[in-house]
Amino acid sequence: MTETKQLQPQDVLAMAESLRPQLGSGFRDEIVQSMYTEAQRIVDRAVNKGSKKKWDLDQRIDRLVTSPIFGLPIMLLILAAVFWITIVGANVPSQMLATGLFWIEEQAANLFTSIGIPWWITGFIWHGVYRGLAWVISVMLPPMAIFFPVFTILEDLGYLPRVAFNLDWMFKKAGAHGKQALTMAMGFGCNAAGVVATRVIDSPRERLIAILTNNFVPCNGRFPTLIMLATVFVAASFPPVFSSFVAAGTVVGVVLIGVFFTMLMSWILSRTVLKGEASAFTLELPPYRRPSIGRILYTSIIDRTIFVLWRAILTAAPAGAAIWILGNINIQGVSLAQLIANFLDPLGFLIGLDGVILLAYIIAIPANEIVVPTMMMVYMGVGMMTDPPSYSQLHTLLVDGHGWTMLTAVNLMLFSLLHNPCATTIMTIYKETKSKKWAALSVVITLGTAFIVTFLTATIARLAGWV
Amino acid sequence: MEGSFWILLILLVVFIVAVFFLPRYGILSRWQHYQKSVEREALEDALKYIFDQEQQGHYVHQDALRGALEISAKRIYSLLDQMESQGLIQHEQSQIILTENGEKLALQIVRAHRLWERYLADEARLPLNKVHSVAHRREHGMSSTQIEELDAALGHPLADPHGDPIPNAAGIFRPHEKGTNLNHWEENTPGKIIHLEDEPPLAFAQILATGLKLGQTIRILEKNNQRIVLTDGENEFTLAPAVAANVFLQELSETDQALRDAIPLTALKGTQPAEIVQLDERCQGFTRRRFLDLGLTPGTTIYAELENAFGDPRAYRVRGTLIALRKDQADDIWVKPLPQA
Amino acid sequence: MTAQLAQMGLKVDNFDRIIALAGNPNTGKSTLFNALTGLKQHTGNWPGKTVTRAEGGYEFQNVKYKLVDLPGTYSLLSASQDEEVARDFILFGQPDCTIVVTDATALERNLNLVIQVLEITDKAVVAVNLMDEARRKGIEVDTRSLSRDLGVPSIPIVARTGEGIQMLLSTVAEVIEGEVKTQPIRVQGSPEYQRSITTLAEQIEQLYPGVPNARWLAIRLLDGDARVQSAIASGEISELVASQRRADVQFSRKMAVEGRQ
Repeated sequence: MTETKQLQPQDVLAMAESLRPQLGSGFRDEIVQSMYTEAQRIVDRAVNKGSKKKWDLDQRIDRLVTSPIFGLPIMLLILAAVFWITIVGANVPSQMLATGLFWIEEQAANLFTSIGIPWWITGFIWHGVYRGLAWVISVMLPPMAIFFPVFTILEDLGYLPRVAFNLDWMFKKAGAHGKQALTMAMGFGCNAAGVVATRVIDSPRERLIAILTNNFVPCNGRFPTLIMLATVFVAASFPPVFSSFVAAGTVVGVVLIGVFFTMLMSWILSRTVLKGEASAFTLELPPYRRPSIGRILYTSIIDRTIFVLWRAILTAAPAGAAIWILGNINIQGVSLAQLIANFLDPLGFLIGLDGVILLAYIIAIPANEIVVPTMMMVYMGVGMMTDPPSYSQLHTLLVDGHGWTMLTAVNLMLFSLLHNPCATTIMTIYKETKSKKWAALSVVITLGTAFIVTFLTATIARLAGWV
Repeated sequence: MEGSFWILLILLVVFIVAVFFLPRYGILSRWQHYQKSVEREALEDALKYIFDQEQQGHYVHQDALRGALEISAKRIYSLLDQMESQGLIQHEQSQIILTENGEKLALQIVRAHRLWERYLADEARLPLNKVHSVAHRREHGMSSTQIEELDAALGHPLADPHGDPIPNAAGIFRPHEKGTNLNHWEENTPGKIIHLEDEPPLAFAQILATGLKLGQTIRILEKNNQRIVLTDGENEFTLAPAVAANVFLQELSETDQALRDAIPLTALKGTQPAEIVQLDERCQGFTRRRFLDLGLTPGTTIYAELENAFGDPRAYRVRGTLIALRKDQADDIWVKPLPQA
Repeated sequence: MTAQLAQMGLKVDNFDRIIALAGNPNTGKSTLFNALTGLKQHTGNWPGKTVTRAEGGYEFQNVKYKLVDLPGTYSLLSASQDEEVARDFILFGQPDCTIVVTDATALERNLNLVIQVLEITDKAVVAVNLMDEARRKGIEVDTRSLSRDLGVPSIPIVARTGEGIQMLLSTVAEVIEGEVKTQPIRVQGSPEYQRSITTLAEQIEQLYPGVPNARWLAIRLLDGDARVQSAIASGEISELVASQRRADVQFSRKMAVEGRQ
């Protein structure tokens, strides 16, 4: 046995414990202050601030984009411009891609038939799987390839934190964080990316709110639906010169409705399930920086566009196959797809839609992009996904052929905006929160909102005799 | 048709049975669980009450305990039986006395309660009048490891947001200044509020309703048997002497003196520069740590640069960076205006 | 960039050295990371863009380096999730050198983190980034004065254009090899704080002889840092010291073998 007792870890901890109260609660303050005092001294010696001329430009821009009068209008204008550029710019390439890809399908299918391969193999591969892919690529690629770089420029400039600053009053009322505006902006590209981006919010409660409500921002996969409806049902009644502006305006309107529901749900969440979770607010406004165009193109196209597209392709191929099977298995002369649609019809009617649309949403759980083609398939009674005909033909098909009204269009826009997140987003929510509870809640609140809202609009419209 | 009816009926029966009897999730097991937690809460509340009374030098009689817990005479018997068989209390004549184990457990509950209050006030930024009731719900059924984790996560706070000391894991209260009761404070001498007693809740609610806050500097304008009138320099507060007994003051230190000329950051007009004097005592937890990290330390120069359309948040230039702060946060930063550069 | 630097992208299995990249949010850490590794991690002008730990590799003067891009943090004291990732890596991941990236236009705020990193490790180099922005704004930074005051080398760079990167990498190599001796600044607080810190630090050194950052551990213990507490209680700290020694031995053996060839 040794005379001196060996020092144990507990002794050190006990020592710390006994010293701590003597230092009082200002220990942290004291450490940080002495560090900053030192930092200040070092900087005073090493840095010459020089003339202050250049600061003024940054300040002037800041004054303008956060100004009480111009701040919000500038923001909305930029948002509308981004959508307009995307809609107009993507139109022609989308058509060309569709023409090209469907031409390949036709040729390949013909080739298969000519060498005697059974019709169902040809159908499954070319009119099912391949057509699903072609659809997703031609619908998604051009808008993404335009949207992402334009958006990345705003991001690299440093404009997004100013948006957070401008909108924080609104988020504060809802018990949320201004930075949620950033994560919502990311959600325009892809909700899964938006959910990941919530990591910038360093307070648990506000972060959970941002995660659970991100889906109320329509993502790239849902924009084609919104754009189509905006063009066919809203913009069609305006002169062609204005139609693209009207379409962009309508989409902005839908986005604003989404923002409204984000706020409402944030408000509810922060006062119910999330009450008592930790909360804090910090927001730094970084200086503006010149974006470097080369890198923007690279990152937005390779990292984002290809990444999101690849994910869509992975889900679209099996979905395409499923649609083909549903459309081609007939029971007493009626396709399986039609049967399910008929079954869902009463529920669809209740919320101002129909069974076909609901079926399309069920099939589109893995990826929202294929909602419209699925609908077309069932409507036109063909056993494969279909390229939509021109917008005027589409109008005729939907209104005259299948009894669509303005209510159907409006409610489909609302449903598309509010319904449950796609499978990837749900998985991402689970990964980010490490909780099945929150993932499930994200589905319940979105789907619940979608049904309640569309039910209300349908009922009100019917009672008022508008339809 | 007949067949499907029976199938539906059987499914319905299975469903109902499942809803009631499913282990863990069924209504029955939830009810049992709930019952158990209610009993445990009553036991813990009883311990805390007896402990509090003993601390104040009072002995507890069974009826007083029953009144405090608001439970029936039948339940108080079974509760006391249970506590005695667990070795938490013993009877001496008609008085109830805590055993050593009972005191230990009581201290642990007090510790859990005050730590939760700290968490709710600092991290969840709940208003002070809501803190007690939520903490009261959360303090129950915590294991000692959970309490330790909470304590460590909060950085071992010394006192709860009302200024009451938090006992450490060994059950020892850390030394702290309790201050002087407002009823015994001299007229016209400035003092700083260092403790607001939160029991009884009615008195506490009255104090909060007047707008008095922890850390505030006040002086007495008028004192008699009916009322005590206070001022913080701007507003006047009136309290009944019984309520004033729950407010405790301390003499001003040097920094408190400096703070007297300071204004909250929100009161700073235009681009007027100012020097930070202090972060308010009520600003604690993550928010305070983040303020410090961003360089909002005493002596730092700060001025407002951008204002939102609604005046909230404002962006301030500090140490060469632009930081947006909400109004309620900027209220916690005390500054001294500097002459315009 | 010159031939001395070879970007190795994601190939990081076979490396000789680990470098950590720390810094405030939005100081161009990711840009530097991309410039060195040839990877294209997304950078954006808003704080908190990098929120996970990214890894990549580069080769410089025939030595292979693994580069770990830590989340941008204002401090290592607040124990938010990303701060813990950064802190744990600098403390327990034992990088051979830590590059602290700072924003030349907001040095005062950035130095707070530099000083904290220097409390944990003395193998560090300060990269003063965004020198072009500083010049545009008419701000002059005297990095020699900075190096002298901080006690570690500080190198002016422009990560976007690659300006100063050669210098940065060779300095990092020199710090690792011990050719450049570092003597990091230690901030002195008020006397009574200093006394408690010294008392506790002495005990920690006694408990774990050879621990490189006893002073910092003492500060964290007094501040009530749960992670450091558990590391001291469980003996994780002593493992740190032991593996540090093993690494040193292995490395000198390797150098001896290579020297013979």
